[in-house]
Parts: sequence; structure tokens; C-alpha cells
Amino acid sequence: MKLKEQLGKQLLFFDGGMGTLLQERGLMAGEIPETWNILHPEIIRQIHKEYLLAGSNIISANTFGVNAFKCKDLEYSVKELVTAGIRLVKEAMEEVHSNQPMYTALDIGSIGKLLKPLGEISFDEAYKTFQEIVIAGDQAGANLILIETVSDSYEIKAAVLAAKENSDLPVIVTMIFDENGKLLTGGDVASVTAMLEGLGVDAIGFNCGLGPEQMKKLLPQLTTCCSLPIVMNPNAGLPVVVNGQTTFQVTPEEFAQSVKTLIEMGASVVGGCCGTTPAHIKCVVELCKSMKIASITDKNLTVVSSYNHAVYFTRKPLIIGERINPTGKSKFKQALRDHDMEYLYKEGLTQEEKGAHILDVNVGLPEIDEPQMMEDAVTGIQAIIDLPLQIDTSNTEAMERGLRYYNGKPMLNSVNGKKESMESVFPIAKKYGAVVVCLCLDESGIPETVEGRLQVAQKIVNTAAKYGIPKKNLVMDALVLTISTGKDNANVTLEVMRKIRYEMKLHTVLGVSNISFGLPERSRINTTFFTMAMNNGLSAGIVNPSSEPMMSAYYSFNALIGEDEQCSAYIANASQVIDNPSESFPVKSSALTLDEAIIKGLVESASEETTKLLKQNIDALSIINEKLIPALDVVGKGFEEKKMFLPQLLMSAEAAKASFEAIKTTLSKQGKSSESKGKIVIATVKGDIHDIGKNIVRTLLENYGFEMIDLGKDVDPEQILRTVQEQQVKLVGLSALMTTTVVNMEATIKLLREHHVVCKVMVGGAVLTQEYADMIGADFYSKDAMGSVRYAMELYEKGEL
Amino acid sequence: MESNNQEIGNKVNLREIYRYLGYGTNTPDNKVQNLITEVLDALLCVIKPKNIYKVFQSNISKNQVLLKEIDRTLVFESRNLAENLAQCSTVVLLAATLGIEADKLLQRYEIMHMTKAAIVQACGAACIEAYCNILQEQILQELSKKGTRLYLRPRFSPGYGDLSLEYQRIIFQELECTKRIGLTLTDSLLMYPTKSVSALIGLTANPQSCHIGKCSQCNNTTCAFRAI
Repeated sequence: MKLKEQLGKQLLFFDGGMGTLLQERGLMAGEIPETWNILHPEIIRQIHKEYLLAGSNIISANTFGVNAFKCKDLEYSVKELVTAGIRLVKEAMEEVHSNQPMYTALDIGSIGKLLKPLGEISFDEAYKTFQEIVIAGDQAGANLILIETVSDSYEIKAAVLAAKENSDLPVIVTMIFDENGKLLTGGDVASVTAMLEGLGVDAIGFNCGLGPEQMKKLLPQLTTCCSLPIVMNPNAGLPVVVNGQTTFQVTPEEFAQSVKTLIEMGASVVGGCCGTTPAHIKCVVELCKSMKIASITDKNLTVVSSYNHAVYFTRKPLIIGERINPTGKSKFKQALRDHDMEYLYKEGLTQEEKGAHILDVNVGLPEIDEPQMMEDAVTGIQAIIDLPLQIDTSNTEAMERGLRYYNGKPMLNSVNGKKESMESVFPIAKKYGAVVVCLCLDESGIPETVEGRLQVAQKIVNTAAKYGIPKKNLVMDALVLTISTGKDNANVTLEVMRKIRYEMKLHTVLGVSNISFGLPERSRINTTFFTMAMNNGLSAGIVNPSSEPMMSAYYSFNALIGEDEQCSAYIANASQVIDNPSESFPVKSSALTLDEAIIKGLVESASEETTKLLKQNIDALSIINEKLIPALDVVGKGFEEKKMFLPQLLMSAEAAKASFEAIKTTLSKQGKSSESKGKIVIATVKGDIHDIGKNIVRTLLENYGFEMIDLGKDVDPEQILRTVQEQQVKLVGLSALMTTTVVNMEATIKLLREHHVVCKVMVGGAVLTQEYADMIGADFYSKDAMGSVRYAMELYEKGEL
Repeated sequence: MESNNQEIGNKVNLREIYRYLGYGTNTPDNKVQNLITEVLDALLCVIKPKNIYKVFQSNISKNQVLLKEIDRTLVFESRNLAENLAQCSTVVLLAATLGIEADKLLQRYEIMHMTKAAIVQACGAACIEAYCNILQEQILQELSKKGTRLYLRPRFSPGYGDLSLEYQRIIFQELECTKRIGLTLTDSLLMYPTKSVSALIGLTANPQSCHIGKCSQCNNTTCAFRAI
């Protein structure tokens, strides 16, 4: 019988701890346990045998810590250690010669490095690291892949994809949660469960971190959302330090009693982790082997997730923010052409603040590399925004990239009833477990009748099923046509939606504002239609969360249907709306001039004063040169004389930025653009992940009119060289925080010099000094943020930029 | 031993925040102070502090610190560390972090509000220090229960004085920082999440000379953040 057929049908037993047993047998501190697969195979084989004799069905090979990063310092390759590890389990099984089901698990642990964009290694590097292990394990004859003691959902996703794309073995994932049910990177039980079910793993569970008693408290969080077999491999209690030694003190008998309860609560595969021994497993097997396990039921949840939380489709409608989309927005299009990611992030952050639950991400523009942009947008947005994303594109490659690099269970917009669309979208949606938006149209267009659209909906559901995509992962868009071209357009949409939701039992989504296309005062129609739609089964509206009437309708609706406890969300929203008008007219009476507003760091006043001056037909350039820059100089000088300080310098910079924005808007309306004082490349050097200093410098230089090319942090010297050469840049700013990364600053300068690039290099950072800067060949050492401004201005005035 | 965020808020030294922001001994104006309060509150709302530590019996010689376990000894070659830990029979190896949430908040501010970004950077640094102060007091209380009244030496981290950053690797391995508290070490020996501390803390029965200012040990006399 195969493992996949047994999982969730009958109780199976894992083995227990390995590390503590090896220490007892002489493993030294700092010694890599997996090397014993080759150095002391008899000991490893013996431990496996003890677990088999205790009644374990699944034996984890001693491969937990094997990966390319670790093997770098060892005499053995990943392949050698994995192959030996798997072989030892198989040999132990032959020697035990039992009738019980016995499986060899390729045991994969965390790489121990955080993934980009926040951390050090890329998703692809993580994937390749796991791929090497998976291929070795598969070739060595493992029966399943166990990904365990992992605590970063993004790393888990890389591991699962590596497992599934490089083998056909069953995949079990057990994670390390803290007592509050959180992964160390912030994910919760529901969010990773949603992601893993989507990715098609075979069983999910907890291991390590907690003892069986703590897992009991956490297990209900998993059983309520998980439709897969559940694995529980607890430690023998929480660690207790005795005489400097970490020990686990739950006895085999106590452990077995607790595990019994875990099985009663819904676990169907059980074993142990740190501190558990063959004696623990033996007690568990003896006490539990005849127990019946609960049958696995589909919880039938429509859910998407970000790295840290899940969002469920329920009776209470959701808001999908529509603003990250270039359609009809010239500034947005320009931002995409310029790869100005901050523009996207701001749109995202604003929508999150305004109450969106999911963000639609559309970065399609014919002249850009959309797949690359989608990848950058998805990873960049996820680095700072916690909301789940809806990948919105008709470009299949962009779709795949977005879904692959997404951290969580994504939403995908969209598929339609055309054969070609379904054939290209469903395989990708299935692979990454996306919840797919399905448009009720096909080769013959958008059916005019209710019946016509429902037929398309049914066709999509049937076809999805052939790809193994269940109804819960489909969200139907009944489609909206404007009422200005057909009086029944709203009625048809609402009727289709009602039937889909209540008769076909699927969730629904709608781009609400199309209803009013071609009409004046569109928000009136939109708001009313939004309310009607919600009342006719709309599960999620794709709307602009910054639209106050729409959000008012939304909060009112929830309060009216009893989905807002004590009307608290309604009240919170209502009081915001009341507060806001007064805020948008800030102390106008004080009548500050532009330079005063900038010196005082008042963003709104600076913006308003600039607009006022522009309306008086004052030339943009003279505003910049006669008001803005002199005001910034006052603050800069104050800063240098230690009369003003960094926060004030930055507040002024932000005020000046607001003023610039106002100028830019006016100029672009006149078809002009503001002039640049020259390009400057700025970067935090390779190996360094602290980039606030660099970002402060960038902000200030931007305000002085320099065109900043910000390459980010942890930047390869080659990339800096390439950018400087391609864009003919004359000034490079480099930042490094640590002595260990200053060497990369030196390497970057060396590389630039070797290629005889005619450009100046200025450097800064906590550990740098003038001496050090001289030593590594920098042209200028900037001791603070203003230093770089002065230096850049000096070069500009000399005509060297 | 989880210390809640409010307690960190109570223990945070505002003067440290001012100093990290470049104020030296000056006090910011009301507007900036209000901004600091706002940002500090936002930070305290999101952080998930975690820590891990181990207590060792130690053997200190002139250039060397030995931390003893039953089956092994950790060796730290450093004159400055040895001076710091002189007469300490007990040494605690500590790692603590505010968690990834602090870095996320910083990134958000960098996009929306650069001033707040600079401030949250300073607040984060002050919070992790406050958190470590709370932790070491708790550790002290616990260890003092066993009889002798003990005193704390200032925390000493890899990278201080002549204690090589390379020792980060040893600390990370010994404390299993990544697995236990989600703290990772990059190839260039930086910690991530960034608002984190790894340190050796000496405990001694000798109440004398317990407070050596960290800055006074540092060679960078022109540092903008040097405590005066």
C-alpha cells in the first residue's frame, strides 16, 4: 500500500528525536550530525532500528541539516550525505524485517537564512538549495519528503515547490509555531495552511518548539481550517536548562497520554521531536495503536493569504483595492516606465490604511517587461504590506511569475470561459493554489441574458474541476456593463450574481464602478449599485478604498446585516470621515510663505503655497531656485551648525518634496518636465542590509534636483558598474554600515577604477572615517547627510555632473 | 521569560533616542518630541520581542574568555572582552530581537514618511537596548537567588573593541538563534531582523567597576553618536 493512500485513513507513527540521542553517543558541540551518516553509520542505523522496533512507520533520515550552505565547510557533498542518510534507514528497515508499513522520509530543515526582499538569499537560491537535496533524496529512494521545523512561509514555499517540481513523492510539512500560534516570521496557522493546501502538499502539522500540552492548545486553530491529514510531532515538553544543559522532561508515559489526546482532537500522524526517544514512541504506539482517527473533511473555505494572515470569503463582503493599475492613469504609467516602485507602494499603503482587505496588482503596460515588473511588484509590495494580493494580468508569463514569487495563497485575476484562457490559466492556478477570478464571458462575448452568463459560469466550474481545481478556489465575476448603454445591465448582473452565490454556491467578485461609465457624478450610481450588489450576494467588491462614499456604503451595509459587532467598524469609519474635513484645511489663517513652510517642515502648507504661487503664474524654476532651495539651505546650514537636527532636516525635505510634486504636476500638465542637475547612482554595498542612511541621503539629494538612481541594498559591485556605464553617471554614493561590508565598498570602488569609469565616488556609513575613505580610494567622505549634498552641489557648480 | 512591550515602553530611554537622532545632549522641540511619541507607540504595538540565553561558568585570563559546558568549552580570544569580564565567574550568552515587524515598519515609513523612518530607527535601537536591560535584570534576579549577591557587567558584543565579529557564528550556533528566536546571521555577519542584540554579560560578586561606558571603549572618537 502506498503512503498517500494511508495518510488520513489510518493512524501512522513518526519516529522521535535524533539530536539528543547523538549527543548521548558522543556527538561534539559544533559537529555536524549528518556527517555521522558516513563517519558512524552503525550508530545512526541503530537509532533508526530502535524507532522501528518501537513501532514507528515513518523514519526520518538523518538529513535535516544537509544543505549546500552547510556543506561548503564540510568534506562531504549534499548528495553523499543525503544518499548515505536514506540508505541507513533502508538498511535498518531490512534488518528489522517487520510487517508494519515502513517509509523512509527525506528530512529537510530550514536553510537558516532569511529570504529576500527582507533578508539575504533570493527565493530562487533557496529553491535551488532545496532542489539539490530533493533530487539526491529521490534518487536515493526516499518514500516521502518531510519538510520540518521551518518557520518562514516563503522558505517553506520554496521547499515545497522544489519537492513537487523535482519528485513525485508525497510531501509533508510540519512547522514550528510559538505558543501564540505564530511562525517566527509572523505567519499564523491559517495563513500557512491556506498556502500549503494550495500548493498541494499531502499533510500538514506542527513539530518542535512546543511540547504536546502546548500543541493541544494550538491544534484547534489547525483543525478548523485544515482539510488535510494532520501531523503532530511535539518535543518532550518545553526545554528546561539544567546546569547549562537543555533538557526535555516529559516522560514517555506522560507524553503518550498527551499524544492520545492530540489524536482524539484530529491528528492522524504522530511522533516526536527534540527530547523524545524510542521509549516515548513505544509508549505512544502501545497506548494509541488501536485508536480510530477522525475522518478528514473538506472545510470548504474560500481563502487567500498573505505571509501573515488569511482572509476568508464569507457572508461579510470584502474590499479589493483597485488602485494599483495603470489604466487611465498617466502618472502611474510613467512610474512603471521609470520602475518607480515607491509610487506603487504608496498606492498600496494608502489602500491598506483605508481598509482594503486584498490588493489588486496590475502592472501591465505594452512597453515594459511585464513578467519582471510583476515579480518586482509582488515581492516589493509584500515586503511592506501585509494584505493578500490579487495578481491581475492577462499575460500568462507575468501570471506565473507573480504567483511563483508570491508569499502565501494568492488570488488571480482572471480566467474566462474561452477555451484558450482556461487552458493557459488553470494549470498555473492549480499549481500555485490560487483563488481564481472567473469572468462570465467566452468566445461569443459577454452573454446578454442571465441564463447565458450562468452557462458560462457552469462551463468554467466544470472545466476547472478537470484540472483538479475545486469550486472553493473559484470566485465568479458576473461582469458589469454600464447602464448608460442598456437599461437592464444592472439587473442582469445582480440576478446572475444572486444565482451564482445562492444556487451554484460560489463566491462572487465585481469591478463595481464600470456600472456608471459615461454618466456624470459617477460615485452616486457606484455607491448605490455597490450596496445593491452586496445585498445580492457580492462577496468581494473591486473598488477604490479611498472613495469615501463607497466605504461609507460598505460599513453601513455590514452594520445593517449584523456583521459589525456593536457597529464598531461603522463608528470608527464615520468618526474618521467627520474628522477629516477639518484636517484638510490646516491652519490656513497662519498664511505661511513657501520658504517658511519648508523650514518648519509643514508638508500640506508647502504643497498649498506652491500651488498658490503656480496659480499666480510664477515660473516653476524660479520657485525652485528662489524659494525652495534657499529654504532647504537654511535648514541644511542649521543642521551643519548643530542648531537643527536630523528629524527637522527630514521634515523640511518632505515639505520640499511635496512642493516639488505640486510643481511636477503643473509642469506635466504643460507638457514640460523639471530639469535635473545630473544623475547620481546610490547604493548600499553588497552584504549590507541596512539602508536607512542611504535613503536619507537620497531624499535630500532629490530635493536639490538631482536625478537619483537608487539601486537599493546588498548591491553587487557589477550592477553598480553596469548602471554607471549604461547611464553615464558621474557620481556614485555608497553606503556601508559594518566593517565586514566596507570591504565590498572598497571592491566596488576598485571595480569602477579598473574599468576606468570617469565618475566620482562618495562614501558614508557608521564605521567609516576620513582615513578609511582615503584608504579605500573614495573621492569624498560624507560624515553626514548634508555632506553629500554639499559635495554634489560643488560638482554640479563645477560642471562635473 | 517574555517581557511585554509596555514594559519595554516604560524602560525606553528617551535621551538615547535623541542621541541616536543626532541631538547629542540637546532636547528636540515639541513637534519632534510628539513625533517620537507617536512613532514609539506604533513600534511598541507591532514588535514581537524574543530572546534566548544560556548561563555559563567562565574562566577569564588576560586575553581569553573560556565558557564551560559539561562536555565542551567555548573560547573567545579578546583582550577587551577579558577586561570587561574580569573577575566574573558566571557569564551569560544572550541574543534578543524585536522581530521582523520592526524592520517592516521601518520600510513602510521609508516610503511614506522619511522623518518617521529616521525616528523609528532610533526608537528601535533604544527599544532593543531597553529589552536587553529588562532581560538582564531578570537573569540577575534569578541567578542571585542561589545565594551570593551578583552584579552585572555591561553587555559586550562581537564587534566591540578587539572581539571579532566572527564570534557571532559561535553565539548563533550555541544559542540556536535562528531556530529558537528567528534571528539570522548573514554571510557578512549582520543580524537580521536588524533590531537585535547578541552579547556576553558578565556577573560578578564584586560591586566595583561595574559600569564601563560602551562608548569610552570605542576607538572611533569622532563618532556622531558617541555618548559624551
